[in-house]
Amino acid sequence: MTNAPSDRLVRTLQWVWLGAAFLLVGGIIVWIVGLIRAAWTLDDFLSASVGISIVAIPIFLVFMGVVFYVFWGVAVHGRSGED
Amino acid sequence: MADARDPHEDILLAPIEHTGPGFYWAVAFLSLLILWGTVAYWVQFTEGLGVTGLHQPVGWGFYVTNFVFFIGISHAGTLISAILRLSKAEWRRPITRMAEVITCMVIFIGAGQILVDLGRPDRMMNVIYYGRYQSPLLWDATSISAYLTASLTYLYLPMIPDIAILRDRSEKRKLLYSVLALGWSGTERQHKVLNRAIAIMAVLVIPIAVSVHSVVSFVFSMTLQPSWHSTIFGPYFVVGAIFSGIAGLILTMIIFRKAYKLQYYLKPIHFRYLGQLLLIMALLWFYFTFAEYLTGYYGAEPEEMKVFWAKFTGPFWPFFWTMVLCNFVIPLVCLASLKAHTVGKVMIASVAIVVGMWLERFIIVVPTLSFPRLPFPEGVYWPTWVEWGETAGSFGLFALFYLLFTKFFPIISIWEIREGRETSVKEVEERIRSYLPGDAQEKA
Repeated sequence: MTNAPSDRLVRTLQWVWLGAAFLLVGGIIVWIVGLIRAAWTLDDFLSASVGISIVAIPIFLVFMGVVFYVFWGVAVHGRSGED
Repeated sequence: MADARDPHEDILLAPIEHTGPGFYWAVAFLSLLILWGTVAYWVQFTEGLGVTGLHQPVGWGFYVTNFVFFIGISHAGTLISAILRLSKAEWRRPITRMAEVITCMVIFIGAGQILVDLGRPDRMMNVIYYGRYQSPLLWDATSISAYLTASLTYLYLPMIPDIAILRDRSEKRKLLYSVLALGWSGTERQHKVLNRAIAIMAVLVIPIAVSVHSVVSFVFSMTLQPSWHSTIFGPYFVVGAIFSGIAGLILTMIIFRKAYKLQYYLKPIHFRYLGQLLLIMALLWFYFTFAEYLTGYYGAEPEEMKVFWAKFTGPFWPFFWTMVLCNFVIPLVCLASLKAHTVGKVMIASVAIVVGMWLERFIIVVPTLSFPRLPFPEGVYWPTWVEWGETAGSFGLFALFYLLFTKFFPIISIWEIREGRETSVKEVEERIRSYLPGDAQEKA
């Protein structure tokens, strides 16, 4: 392979890539939690916020889980071979 | 996995390695559309929504129509791809990537329509800071965020082995491909992890996609406006979304089949199967439309009837009857028999459906606002060059994003085709045997 980038740089950028994915999904979760907080503070129909969040937040957590599972399974442990 | 490289694979990598004059012509044309859209938006941004045809009582026009239309088209990808993947439809292999890319691109364009419609895009921050979950608009924001995240993940995961092929073969963008390939070397463990993750996402993505278009319909049906307040709007919108999504996918396949010479991969059989799906969806769409209008007509509520007749014989009749022609009559004529000239017939039906479904969204949004239940003055909506420009720019942006994607990544999944050649033939044979009665294994 010619002009191959250094392994260290590639691995660092892969962690940055994972971090960006987590930041996106984490940001959405923080936003939803913020809306629950606003509904709580303003006594503004908290049940709607909680009801929707109970469905939405776990879905985003599953996304994070899947991404992390692939990253761990492919990029971290997967390189080691046929184990 | 053993190297099962097909000499035809070079065709799939050719658009990434070489750029012909056709690409530059296409980019130039699409840039003109985008420029028109940019100028239109700039005029609207500086002078306000008064430069558009939006006024009282019609506050939603082309932008909301485009929003519903693009979100509908997004069902092309992830939903259709996920259903075909889970049902182990082997003919899916060359088409899933194209479908998934459509989804990711149009969600961005669709969501962007709301920003354009706001007139003051900075007011989007109000949703972020002070959003209230009583509003279906916020349900939309949440479900579209989920769908976008799911679609991006679902697009990226099956691309990893192909990115690794590019990393190893291409002399360009080594760093990009090395990072995105995640060190993929095709080990058994990596395949196991990836296949499991893709299966999880395929299962997750279906209810999310259904929820997205149901929630889009709730924006209308949760109001008491005539022709909007309907219990079947959720499934009606989902059916329409899948319908337009399949048509959008077929058109994309035909364009890239011709442009990138993919006839070896995208065969008439693929168009025949998609044409059959399209025919089923056309019948289903007609059934929902018929049920929706018959219920309104039979109730004969005065406000409902005003909107009803405005569509059937009033100022909106050309749009309504063109919609019926495009979404039902033309597809039925073209697709009822697909024995000959498959690709041409499916293409005509798909073009008609894309036009017809855009008109359907327009017919849902505008007439109700023109004849509102509350005692506002009535008024018909006429878009100005600003809305036409925004619409042209949006379509141009979608096409340009798509085209650029094909310059970075293969538009047909290479590894899934290889996998199909190596293992699926045997798997399908075993599966068919297991369906047949009297197999020894079944006795247990």
